[in-house]
Amino acid sequence: MSTSVLPPRTATSSQGIPPADDVRLTFPRIVRSEWIKFRTLRSTVWTLAITLLLMVGIVTLFSAIFASQEGAGNAGGNDGTSSIIVFTIAANLAQLAVVVLGVLVITGEYSTGMIRSTLAAVPRRLPALWAKGVVLAVSIFLVSTVAMGISLGVMQLFLGAKGLAPDLGDAETVRILVGVPLYLTAIALLAFAIGALMRHSAGALAAVLGLLLVVENLFLIPWKPLQHISPFLPGTAGSKILMPKAEIDAMSQGAVGTVLGPWQGYAVLLAWVVVLLTAAAVLLRRRNA
Amino acid sequence: MIEAHGLTKRYGRKTAVDDVSFTVHPGKVTGFLGPNGAGKSTTMRMIVGLDHPTHGTVTVNGRRYDQHLAPLREVGALLDAKAVHTGRSAYNHLRAMGATHGIGTARVREVIEMTGLEPVARKRVGGFSLGMGQRLGMASALLGDPHTLILDEPVNGLDPEGVVWVRNLVRYLASQGRTIFLSSHLMSEMALTADHIIVLGRGRVLADAPVADIVGRSTGTTVRVCSPQAARLVELLAGKGVSITSTSPQWLEVTGTTAQVIGEVAAAAQLVLHELTPVTGSLEDAYMALTQESVEYHSTTTGLHPDHLGADPALAGTEGTIR
Repeated sequence: MSTSVLPPRTATSSQGIPPADDVRLTFPRIVRSEWIKFRTLRSTVWTLAITLLLMVGIVTLFSAIFASQEGAGNAGGNDGTSSIIVFTIAANLAQLAVVVLGVLVITGEYSTGMIRSTLAAVPRRLPALWAKGVVLAVSIFLVSTVAMGISLGVMQLFLGAKGLAPDLGDAETVRILVGVPLYLTAIALLAFAIGALMRHSAGALAAVLGLLLVVENLFLIPWKPLQHISPFLPGTAGSKILMPKAEIDAMSQGAVGTVLGPWQGYAVLLAWVVVLLTAAAVLLRRRNA
Repeated sequence: MIEAHGLTKRYGRKTAVDDVSFTVHPGKVTGFLGPNGAGKSTTMRMIVGLDHPTHGTVTVNGRRYDQHLAPLREVGALLDAKAVHTGRSAYNHLRAMGATHGIGTARVREVIEMTGLEPVARKRVGGFSLGMGQRLGMASALLGDPHTLILDEPVNGLDPEGVVWVRNLVRYLASQGRTIFLSSHLMSEMALTADHIIVLGRGRVLADAPVADIVGRSTGTTVRVCSPQAARLVELLAGKGVSITSTSPQWLEVTGTTAQVIGEVAAAAQLVLHELTPVTGSLEDAYMALTQESVEYHSTTTGLHPDHLGADPALAGTEGTIR
């Protein structure tokens, strides 16, 4: 802002700005903007790195343990179906990092005031929400897919020779391997929707983590009314896609409420996401920024 | 051109903006004045759609802000310098904002250079001083090379050089035919920058007129007179709707008449005059007079309290001329 920069060479005669008819709001451009925002924050880079490291780390750890125990002939160690459960554990831990990212992507804008810049640039508002959701979902899906790829490789290294690595020819194994990125993506969007509804980082984090880790477990209390609802809670339903059929069957023994299959459960989780995102969209249109 | 019709905003039971109508014309700098809580910021936020009006409409160049295909090209707004994610660098913030409209890095570098942000452009905004934050706000507002600029307290926190830069910039942009709407509490700055003034008080428009009219209408003209025979002159001028305050034995401040009349009265009575000076009020005086009844948060430690106002000879002439 030195005085040598005189006004006449400031806002007009600008070469940097494209011809007037090219400067226009479009959805792909809003997605690009959200992508720039997403990757230029440390919190994003950190949570994605933690997601990746958690998944690969846990799979490595368990693979090493399995490998050392091989030969002891312990239960379930006789084929690749039991080693697949490691991915379920990894996904359950990685979801914590994913929830943090999903919440912060939107609440970070409210806590810093950035949302006012965002909505001034995209005054129709909803395209900004959808663009954020797209960037979040695609990023989480790709990172968790990469994490799964690396994990599979690591597991192959440790257990492949012993025939304990997951059998990629088995439909159920493939369903679980594909299910991990799908589950994490849906959970991220669930956190994102709750963040958009609550507009407050700490509150939204407490709500999502409280729901997934505390409330859903309380619903396992053997009291009939709770047990009828429990299968339809987002985490309980969605995580069915991470479970081997045998485990689902075992759990359904003597179950009171509905028993959802893997894809039914995932569909219920997606329904939660759709409902909450719709509510967030309606409120975003209505509320003052 | 910004046009507001019957604009009203209520937050719960509190009415922040109450049936406000005005037009901000292109080619001029329009100043937006009013005490804290008068509804200026709320009005500006409604123009760019951040707040929804309870009643009424506001359009920019004939359309609601959100109906424009390229909102940032239409309106550049600096509503508060804190509307930035503190964890992102100024450069990345501007790049993300520009990306929504296909505005590339060349223009981003241009506005960074223009606002003097180069030294800190790659640093995270969280560590910015108030002035740097304000410069970033100006850079964001200028990013789309907009036809209309809406600036809420743009010089707040700027160094003197920055203040002059903003003044020259908005005057230059207005001369290009753009619409400039800015608020400030710095009356001296506003007097230098604005062509037209809209004064808001308790959510209502108190005045909407050219700067010269506002100053003239609200304060009237005072004539300062110095005469060794001041007492005699007072006797001759008394009555006729003229009010006179005496600041010292020889000095008088006369309102309600002109220098010409005083000079003629003195000449007729052969009185000696050492000085006869018409004094136009400042924008600040005019503003105080206009808003003294609608100030939401009175400060009691200054001489601006209505009780003191009448007793203050310097301000005595401004009493009773409001509206």
